[in-house]
Amino acid sequence: MSMVRCDGIVQIYRAQDVEVVALRDVDLVIDPGETVALLGPSGAGKSTLLWLLAGLLRPSAGRLWLDGTDVGRLDQRGLDRLRASRIGVVLQNPSRNLIGYLPAAQNVAFAQRAVKRDRRRVRDLLARVGLEDVGDRPAGGMSGGEQQRLALAVALANSPRLLLADEPTSQLDAGSGQRVIDLIKESAEAEGTTAVVVTHDPGVSEALGRTVTIRDGRVGAEGRHGEDFVVVGREGAVQVPPEYHHLLPPGSMARIEAVEDGVVLRRVEP
Amino acid sequence: MILRGLWERRTLALVVLLIAVVPIASAAVAPIYSAGALTTIVRDAIREAPVEGRGWRYTTSGGTIEPKVAGFTAGAGFTDPPVFGMEVSSGSADQDDRRAYTVVWQDGQCEHLEPARGRCPAAAGEVMASEASGLETGDVVRLRSLRSARPGSATLETAPLEVVGVYRPGDPADPFWFGRTLFDPQGQPSQNKADALFTARETRSVTYYVGSGLGEQAWTDYALIRVNPDRLTGTDLPLLAEMQALAEATGRTTDAIVFSRMADTLRTMDANAGTLGVPALLVAAQLVGLGWLLLFQTVGDLVRARGPEIALARLRGHGRVRVWRFALAEPLLLLLLAVPLGLAAGFAAASLMIGALLPAGVPTTFPPAAVAAGLAATLGGVLAATASAWRVATRPVTEEWRRTPRRSARGWALDAVVLAVTALGLTELLAAGVITDASGESAGAMAVPGLMALGVALLASRVLPVASGWLFGLTRRRGGLGPFLALRQVARGPVTAGSVIVLGTAFGLATFAVAAWTATSDDYARVAAFHNGAPTAITVQPVEPGELAAAVEAADPGGALAAPVIKMPGTPQLVVSDPDRLARVAHWDPELAGGKDLAGAMAALPSPDAARVWVRGERFRLRLAHSELTENWAAQVKAAFRITGRVGPVSITMGELRGAGGAYEWNLPLPCRQVPCELRRIHADLNALGSVEGGAFVEVRVESMEVLRDGAWQPVPAPAWRVDQDPSRTDGSFGVSDTGMQVLRPATYEQEPAGIVVGEVGAKAVPGLDNAFAYRVRPAVTAAAAPGITGAGVLMDLEQADRIAYGVDEKAQFQVWTRQSGTAALEAALAREGLTVVSTVRAADLEAGYAAEGPGLALMLLLVSALAAAVLALGRTVLALHTAARRRGYELAALEAAGAKAPALRLSLLLEQAITVVTGTLAGLVAGLVAAEAALGRIPQFAEPVVTPPLPHEVAAAPVALVTGAALAATLLCALLVSELLLRGVRVERLRDTPA
Repeated sequence: MSMVRCDGIVQIYRAQDVEVVALRDVDLVIDPGETVALLGPSGAGKSTLLWLLAGLLRPSAGRLWLDGTDVGRLDQRGLDRLRASRIGVVLQNPSRNLIGYLPAAQNVAFAQRAVKRDRRRVRDLLARVGLEDVGDRPAGGMSGGEQQRLALAVALANSPRLLLADEPTSQLDAGSGQRVIDLIKESAEAEGTTAVVVTHDPGVSEALGRTVTIRDGRVGAEGRHGEDFVVVGREGAVQVPPEYHHLLPPGSMARIEAVEDGVVLRRVEP
Repeated sequence: MILRGLWERRTLALVVLLIAVVPIASAAVAPIYSAGALTTIVRDAIREAPVEGRGWRYTTSGGTIEPKVAGFTAGAGFTDPPVFGMEVSSGSADQDDRRAYTVVWQDGQCEHLEPARGRCPAAAGEVMASEASGLETGDVVRLRSLRSARPGSATLETAPLEVVGVYRPGDPADPFWFGRTLFDPQGQPSQNKADALFTARETRSVTYYVGSGLGEQAWTDYALIRVNPDRLTGTDLPLLAEMQALAEATGRTTDAIVFSRMADTLRTMDANAGTLGVPALLVAAQLVGLGWLLLFQTVGDLVRARGPEIALARLRGHGRVRVWRFALAEPLLLLLLAVPLGLAAGFAAASLMIGALLPAGVPTTFPPAAVAAGLAATLGGVLAATASAWRVATRPVTEEWRRTPRRSARGWALDAVVLAVTALGLTELLAAGVITDASGESAGAMAVPGLMALGVALLASRVLPVASGWLFGLTRRRGGLGPFLALRQVARGPVTAGSVIVLGTAFGLATFAVAAWTATSDDYARVAAFHNGAPTAITVQPVEPGELAAAVEAADPGGALAAPVIKMPGTPQLVVSDPDRLARVAHWDPELAGGKDLAGAMAALPSPDAARVWVRGERFRLRLAHSELTENWAAQVKAAFRITGRVGPVSITMGELRGAGGAYEWNLPLPCRQVPCELRRIHADLNALGSVEGGAFVEVRVESMEVLRDGAWQPVPAPAWRVDQDPSRTDGSFGVSDTGMQVLRPATYEQEPAGIVVGEVGAKAVPGLDNAFAYRVRPAVTAAAAPGITGAGVLMDLEQADRIAYGVDEKAQFQVWTRQSGTAALEAALAREGLTVVSTVRAADLEAGYAAEGPGLALMLLLVSALAAAVLALGRTVLALHTAARRRGYELAALEAAGAKAPALRLSLLLEQAITVVTGTLAGLVAGLVAAEAALGRIPQFAEPVVTPPLPHEVAAAPVALVTGAALAATLLCALLVSELLLRGVRVERLRDTPA
């Protein structure tokens, strides 16, 4: 059973009188224990997809299964329970993940309130992220790196099966960023947690097992084992990666030639 | 966690606490202050009531009285210890003495009897008699029905009551004797009833009542129960009413009789309390409403300030109820803390107001209504917190992290409801005209000022973003970056609407309160000046009008300081005075008298100059010449005199006309031997002797008059004569016929004297000093108001009025008006002239009295609380603008990074805030002035409607301008400071952070 399964997900925002299609026909399957980097330019729909996976949004169309549960069939309470017990989220900007005036342990404990208080796990998590010695210092007074590590500890407070992180290294120096990535990978390996990380950082994407690139609200490409693949969409659409735009620029016409294991696109001048 | 959170947001938390405390305090002040005002009302009612209206006289003829009285007064802590007594009445055993006697014992009587001779009775059988009874010490009084047995004898004989002392009759109005007439009011011997015989308590045990004659009464016990005003409070009113109801029921269901005029006093109390209750409640309701508005905004801010935490809770999967509870915790804790603090602050403020505005000794109590009002005010905050928390707990959580939060459209439902209710109230107010009932029927109309303030503020909040949006279009091309940014932000209006609503409503109510206060204070001063007549009115004991005038003449020979005045109540009222003196001391407004000044008006009231006919002596003689009387007719000539100290004419019959004339004489009334009496008329009564044919007529002429004094006849100078029925007769002649009698009068006054007429007098007769309503006045001046006149009335010359009247009725009030405020010297001078000063009332006292009535008290409450609320609203608005601008720090930093200059950003921030606060303030000003225009003159200002003078309801521009100017200055200063603070917080480095 897959951890995440998106089947034709469409997400539409309504901004005043304008409808904005953030995601269109997204099909995506993520297996348990996978670590996935969501890539793509700004505004491509990465964060929207992440919020959908976190159960913070309901898709406008399509179906979404999280850990085998059809999100569309859950009421608000069920969704809250699912998020509390099986999903951990790290938001962009570490301070957003924390209550600034509470110390580290209380921040982790706050995340446990919806499930079960487990002080030992709080201590273990803080030790794991290297914050066992911060004492009663309020989270607001910590450095950016410390805050991000604490945010990760908070997200892992309830031993989630799915860890979602939005740009977890964007405001960190290289060392701190690497430490955060290591922690995510360690958690995935130690607890079998599936991790989906939105990032622009090539270092992060390289460190994770799989990359999914979102462009114009669609899954444009996937990368596995160091190689990128375009993804053929539901209607047979294929997004030409930007690095090939000089050969096949948007708006140009191409001839499709069938070969044994697929097709070849050749630009034509009408 | 809650406390840590509050500390984290301590500034906002403190503001919320303060803003919660003030409405709670304001709401609590009204009931506390009203309770004090009610206490003042009930105490004043008791103090001003006649003796019989201040308590009960409980009388019983069977059983012991003490338990009955104890039952009657159970729970009443406001009564003095009852004064017990007993009495028996009987005729005298002496056949020649036809007087009825009452033998009385009353606890403490000896302290209240003024002994003339002898002592107070101390043993059984001893009595103290009145000086007017003719009894002397040593006399023995025997009463027909009061018997005793000699030692060793079984026969009952009339009990000997030995007079051991003689007392001077006391003041019948002394509360100690209330409920019974124990002394002749005139202090004169009576033919039918002797003043009470006071005896010792033991007399009852040695005597037997054996009579049952008419008008006699066996021993009865009584108790005098008096309400002590110093112990009475407003909350005692229901118990007082219960006691009165019990008293009335007791008289119907038992043998006891409870005498009292407490029902009248209670009616007065209820009427005055009614004028206080509704205005005070409405003020409290409007303040609570305003408090709700403030709390709605501020508590909402606090909840929104926790938005990121609440979003985190939702992100971590906390259930909706838990999130809601989490969001509510901080504001509810603050509100919980605000309740006792607000109630304590309200109590302290009300104590100060009671101490400053109400008479000394009025206690500050804490009625349950104060707690209810405080909780009602808090409820606004609770609702606001609940609604805001629910909104934050249910809106899409991702909205919290959006860079540009989506605007939610503001509905029209609330605006429509408020505007509809305002329109209804306004219609009711305008259609109803002047509301004469302050006690509640027009409560909706009286709430119009608050509703209008809210309605105008709501409209302004709608108009401002639209207008800003329109102007924003213009600034795209010219005007610079500052106005462009400012107008764009105002047009977006995330804070604009709330701030304009709160500011507009608060300043609207404050402006109305100040406008109403200035107009009402002016009206109070105007009414007090006219009703008091002059700056100071000294009331003196009644004397002869001439004596009053003479005393004032002697006390103020220059005539510039004081004027004698006699006021007669009635419809129309009558005020008489010396016009020359009155012109120098009385209050007057030429605009209300067709432009005529006081001196000119007084000049229209000429004093008569004809000499009056005074006679003093034993006998009066008329020498008459007359024609022959028709056969079988007889005519009796009569002369009528006005006698000093008596109301009404005293007529003497001079004799029957005989022959062709001659001397006719008769004894003058007895008092004329001591003091001069005034001849007022001569006329004749015609009588038919048997059967007559045809009519009768005789013409009579007075040739001379004489008075016998000290054994010698002295001529009385002939006056100018007048016959009202035939003005041509001025030679002392008058006709007597069977078809009409003519009356010959000394022409000492005008038949229809000149007067200054106020209001609808028309052809009505004025009461005159004798309250006889015998003549009309000729309107010399018609005015809308005149000194001393409180309704339709007439002001006329004192000498004229005195000459017309047959004496002075007891209703007449004698006063000396002066323009001085310090009256000690004048009072001393009046006392030297034999006048007894009863009281001194200054116009300022009356003015203060109006301010202490229900509407005045409510207005004072409104003024204080509305100004406090306006300050809070200003503070809240500045805070909200500051918070909103801080949220845009990222945007401002980006603008600076893009090359926008600091002055342009400063101007932008300043303009944004200035536009919002100035719009709110001006909307409030407009709303307040419009409300004042609509409501003043229709909303009651006085407990009793004022008939005259007409009230201008002029709003004084200076205080309103001061408040508005101060508000604008404060708002602009705050805007300036906040802009500068915000600008200093804008740093390009901030762009490194992701916008929160």
